[in-house]
Amino acid sequence: MISVSLNAYLALSVILFALGFLGVLVRRNTIVIFMCLELMLVAATIAFVAFSCYNGTMDGNVFVFFILTVAAAEVAVGLAIIVALFRRRQTIQVDQLDSLKN
Amino acid sequence: MSPDYLELLHALMPEAALVIGALVVLGFDLVVAKRDTLEERMNSSVTIGALSIVAALWHTVRAGAFGPAFGGVLNFDHLAVAARGGVLVLALLTLLLSAGTAHARHGAEYVAVILFATVGFTLMAAAQQLLLAFLALELASLSLYVLAGFDKSRPASAEAGLKYFLFGGMAAAFLLFGFSLIYGLTGSIELPQIAAQLAHQGMSPLLVVALVMVLVAFGFKASAAPFHLWAPDVYEGAPVSSAALIASASKLAGFTLFTRLLWPGFGIVAGIAPTAHVWAGWVPVVLLLSGSSLFIGNLGALAQTNVRRLLAYSAIAHAGALLLGVVVAGRAGPGPLFYYAATYGLATVGAFGVIGVVAKAGACQKITDLAGLHRRSPLLAGCLMIFILSLAGVPPLAGFFGKFAVFAAALQLGGLASPVGWLVFLAIAFSAVALYYYLVILKQALVTAPAADASRIAVPAPAAITLAAAALMLLLFGIFPSLLLGMF
Repeated sequence: MISVSLNAYLALSVILFALGFLGVLVRRNTIVIFMCLELMLVAATIAFVAFSCYNGTMDGNVFVFFILTVAAAEVAVGLAIIVALFRRRQTIQVDQLDSLKN
Repeated sequence: MSPDYLELLHALMPEAALVIGALVVLGFDLVVAKRDTLEERMNSSVTIGALSIVAALWHTVRAGAFGPAFGGVLNFDHLAVAARGGVLVLALLTLLLSAGTAHARHGAEYVAVILFATVGFTLMAAAQQLLLAFLALELASLSLYVLAGFDKSRPASAEAGLKYFLFGGMAAAFLLFGFSLIYGLTGSIELPQIAAQLAHQGMSPLLVVALVMVLVAFGFKASAAPFHLWAPDVYEGAPVSSAALIASASKLAGFTLFTRLLWPGFGIVAGIAPTAHVWAGWVPVVLLLSGSSLFIGNLGALAQTNVRRLLAYSAIAHAGALLLGVVVAGRAGPGPLFYYAATYGLATVGAFGVIGVVAKAGACQKITDLAGLHRRSPLLAGCLMIFILSLAGVPPLAGFFGKFAVFAAALQLGGLASPVGWLVFLAIAFSAVALYYYLVILKQALVTAPAADASRIAVPAPAAITLAAAALMLLLFGIFPSLLLGMF
């Protein structure tokens, strides 16, 4: 069995986090931005599990269950807001959401 | 560690009262009040919600500060008790002011979500462990996203909710990644153990990344520049009482949480000894955030014509001063910071409350919509004067003493010639700038004649009592600051 080092896990997690952050910054569709946010949470999850394995404590693993729950709640709230917005404005492109400007 | 659930129940009685209150609000509205008019349903919901907040407040005060609970997951020190009390009072004022607002179609749900957000705030004030801190922050944040987008009849509200959600979700992801790195470095999620490990390890590149990520989340929560972009849009678009809650109780809880995280947790790597020239650590970063918030907040506010956007920029400017309070909390204790945040919250809730009452009689977005308020409703004009003058920091009111306490403690930290000293000078100079834009509001409210079609404003009794109580508290805490500062 090939053993994977901690650094490999961390590298994966950093790459995922960076990809998610980049997506949030450059994408214009709210749903895609939303998926990128979830990617950032997943990156943190991977780091937690890797560290938990490496440190030999359970705290990180327990943390993951709560992150998953919170992410699900965030999806519910976020999609509800997006639906409410679409009903009013017929668009979910962030660059068209500029009614709140002077 | 064998968990003692009875102790936990005893410690979390206020939270239990709030959650039960929220469920009763929903159940009552669903079963008993379904034949009543919308206004009656909103009033009964607000009454039940207010009762549960009062019960939570009573439990908080009666239990007092009894130290760590549940194996150190929660810490009920003086800061926690004071912040829990402050958050509950601010939430109570917000709730009473939200009675009879325009979005009363789902009144019970609105009140229940406010109560859930309050549970998040009270837990944030006491959390001493990364997991609980994250969960409390998310409970509060998710509730606030819902509150910001609650008014489904206006596109502006949904847009404010979405912007708040996107920025907040990003901040939460940064915070979580920072937490995971801290856990990896120290092997623990309990703040005392983290502090002990960091004292042993000192600074490392990974820790720098972790600290930066935590500070990004802090900057978002505090609406400090350059993470302030959401604030003007949310303050403008969200329902008035949601904006009041976001601006007051959420701020107080956020500053309490991050002060606890930064000083007892990462105080070892604060990186600024007033005498030694050590510049690696989080204090210089916080000072940088503070300076940029003072700049952007005060200069941005000068250009505003919308009163709610103006309050948002004023909030950014106040965040700059509050961040200074976080820096001094290491030496002077959290007293000045708490005093500043609590009295700032009172004044902001009051100002938003006045806007809410005026908005019911007609639009209240532009500063000119307040014209002639002294004729339309002398009570509102008088209360608004006290709130705005307190925000500006005019002497007999609490806002002045908050600034005084923070700045005095900051000057004791490093004297006049240190970076902290320069920042205090900057803050004092900007207070003069701030007086200008606060007086622009007051000039419209107190001097200008009302528009031809403006009628008198009838202030509902609960709103009148709440506003008067908030104004009285600002006066009282300004004249007797030891009432709050003596708690530490």
